[in-house]
Amino acid sequence: MRRTALIIVALASVMLFASGCGGKVPTIGISQYGEHASLDNCRKGFLQGLTDAGLVEDKDYKVDYQNAGFDNAVATQIAQNFSSKGVALMCAIATPSATACFAAAEDKDIPVVFTAITDPVKAKLDKGNVTGTSDKLPVEAQLDLIRRLQPDADTIGIIYTLSEPNSVSSIAEYQAKAAAFGFAIEAIGVTQQSEVSLATDAMIAKGVDCLSNLTDNNVVCVLPSVLEKTREAGIPVYGSEVEQVKIGCVAAAGIDYFELGRQTGAIAARILKKEAKASEIPYETISEYGIYINSAALAEFAMEIPPDMSDKAIEAGN
Amino acid sequence: MLELINISKTYNPGTVNEMCLFEGFNLDVPDGEFVSIVGSNGSGKTSLLNIICGSIPIDTGDVRIGGNSIKKLKDFQRYRRIGRVYQNPAMGTSPDLTLLENMSLADNKGRTFGLSAGINRSRVAFYREQLAILGLGLEDKLHEKVGSLSGGQRQAAAMVMSTLTPVDFLILDEHTAALDPKAAETVMELTDRIVKEKKLTAMMVTHNLRYAVEYGNRLIMMDKGRIVLEKSGAEKADLKVDDVLKVFTDISIECGN
Amino acid sequence: MSVFFDLAIGTLTQGLIYALLSYGVYITYKILDFPDLTVDGSFPLGAAVTAVLLTHGFDPYLTLPVALAIGATAGLITGLIHVKLGVRDLLAGIVTMTALFSINLQIAGSNLIVERAVDTIFTARPTMAVIGALPLIYRKLIISLVMAVVFKLLLDSYLKTKNGLLLRAVGDNSLLVTTLAEDKGRLKIIGLVISNALAALAGAVVCHEQRSFSSTMGTGQVVFGLATVIIGITLFKKLGFVKGTTAVMIGSILYKASIQVAISLGLPANLLKFVTAALFLMILVVGSRQKGGLKDA
Repeated sequence: MRRTALIIVALASVMLFASGCGGKVPTIGISQYGEHASLDNCRKGFLQGLTDAGLVEDKDYKVDYQNAGFDNAVATQIAQNFSSKGVALMCAIATPSATACFAAAEDKDIPVVFTAITDPVKAKLDKGNVTGTSDKLPVEAQLDLIRRLQPDADTIGIIYTLSEPNSVSSIAEYQAKAAAFGFAIEAIGVTQQSEVSLATDAMIAKGVDCLSNLTDNNVVCVLPSVLEKTREAGIPVYGSEVEQVKIGCVAAAGIDYFELGRQTGAIAARILKKEAKASEIPYETISEYGIYINSAALAEFAMEIPPDMSDKAIEAGN
Repeated sequence: MLELINISKTYNPGTVNEMCLFEGFNLDVPDGEFVSIVGSNGSGKTSLLNIICGSIPIDTGDVRIGGNSIKKLKDFQRYRRIGRVYQNPAMGTSPDLTLLENMSLADNKGRTFGLSAGINRSRVAFYREQLAILGLGLEDKLHEKVGSLSGGQRQAAAMVMSTLTPVDFLILDEHTAALDPKAAETVMELTDRIVKEKKLTAMMVTHNLRYAVEYGNRLIMMDKGRIVLEKSGAEKADLKVDDVLKVFTDISIECGN
Repeated sequence: MSVFFDLAIGTLTQGLIYALLSYGVYITYKILDFPDLTVDGSFPLGAAVTAVLLTHGFDPYLTLPVALAIGATAGLITGLIHVKLGVRDLLAGIVTMTALFSINLQIAGSNLIVERAVDTIFTARPTMAVIGALPLIYRKLIISLVMAVVFKLLLDSYLKTKNGLLLRAVGDNSLLVTTLAEDKGRLKIIGLVISNALAALAGAVVCHEQRSFSSTMGTGQVVFGLATVIIGITLFKKLGFVKGTTAVMIGSILYKASIQVAISLGLPANLLKFVTAALFLMILVVGSRQKGGLKDA
């Protein structure tokens, strides 16, 4: 019994000590759902955005960065931690972290700025003291890109995670718009990362003409192994952003996540400078996209960039 | 009371290990009889108990208690009117529960285990009485977890528990085999007393020829699924351990044991 | 100081809400000796149903009994698969849990958010009438505390009834139960029903608290449950049986506190899980420096 009391006192003291280290400089709590290339780029862009708006770290703001390791319960506790600390602003990267932050922010009405959410309306983050940027996938641009590079293709295979809201929204959009480009979509939903390999095999067996990626965490994390299999089967893979093209996707009509983050940083800066409240700023959707190509990968599949695209296309491969 | 009619049982039929244990086996145990069953390992004594209790299905034949066939009843249903004490003292009680809780459970056998209080305070005095008869001091250990009692104490408690509520038939499955000599004596005496007082019909399987001869009013020796020796009433009263031992050894030599 | 206070309250609230889940795992794992993975599916099931009901204007308080009922059904299914179809305990739970993943997706999609305009048990009028003057985090604490204590007491009383005693016997020595002419299969089903009802209730309250359902929120909850049961039992080994429920409630609070400490320490974000694991280990080792040690957990 005494030992238990000892443990409780020890834990409490650490919390007390850790929380006591505050200061007068407003803190920005950054809650990132997990570490991966796009989300990391968002965060780096966000910090850049703050700097670009003229704010100086440690003078105008401090940063408390927490990463939930793709665990929803942890995302909740991180949000609570921010709320208890009374951060000046919460920056949430990806939907689960954003909903957790918004729920925790309710009590003290802390402004929440989100990024990397495909459908903020579905996530009910379009009203209230919350704003941010949406990375709606440029689906039409991607379909157009695929059609130009593979004039004879019929089916596009897409692997996605059933429980990722961003992916679910994007699949719906693909299915709605594919026909206009003469494509049929073959979609396989998985529940966890380990199933992506099996899904890839299934896609190859179905004889799809190519694969297209969403910004699906599970798929992106095991992309190298997907690329290996599809390369052997002669199926090109289109990415959804530049990092994926770097590691071997043939091309992508993608958003620059760093830019997305920067835009988010700019919004956050306005709130910190008290120029506007989060409730007054409607969320922004990035509409510009870039065409990224990996020439080496394209060559492997004997594909060529059509001449009218080649000046706009950015070489991402090495 | 108990009738085993034309029982046939083959283990692992159609395989290399096929063994026909019982073939047309019959046994009648009238009301109030206390029968001991002895025999070497593999003679079928334990299988017999399991067939009566329903843990082993039979190929043909019937098992009846009080004239009613119990063949279709599941094991737990049969135990409604059958009490059983096992060889392993750990099997008859719940080690993590206290002695009082164990007694309370046994006291409710045959009735609904609903949401009324688990322990009936007004019965505690009765439990104490029943345990005091054993002379083992268990009546003072009601609030101890049964797991901390010795093997003999647990077995004695199991004996009391098995007959706390009325049963037609008591099965004693080598219930003294795992106990030290003193505990075994105590439990055996207790068994005798309980069977006489409650006028139970009982079947005791044992390796101990002395107990088989000294207690009960009928002795059966089994070998390979058949009864090879049977003594009851006055004949049994005159029986000596040596006589039984001789038959036992004869059979064993035959089988090359 | 108020920061620490808020942190402590938030953590305590989380611990109390999840204690409901710990009670459920306590019943199956400790009492019934049945490793039940169904909770990975019944916990989010409670949340899914609650999220859907709330977004359709259902009375927030009534979502709780609905969650209990639906969780009970999930437990019933596992029980029937185990008892009637003879599937091993672990596998029966896996079957139900896997099926529930799809069922939850069907019920609420991959994510379902409950917007601020919709009332939860923490913001609805009856609650506000009684404790409306307090800030939201205090209301959450009070309601969670009330629920954790009420269900603890209910569970404690149940375990003292004839049925509860028999349930304890099934996990301890199921042969005795058969010898007492009771159907151990039926008892196991009862235990699974109670346990998963509690798990779903926990999921429902979590949904109220974080205003969202996510189809992956169940992953790892059985691990959480087992950890809290073992932590709780290890720390309170010496005390009598009734305190078992209290022990696991404290286990849940300590678990959540460990995570919060790890977050508060401000270490590199990737070390979060490592630090949490280190804290558990410390708690277990310090707590078990008594006779018996960890082996009896």
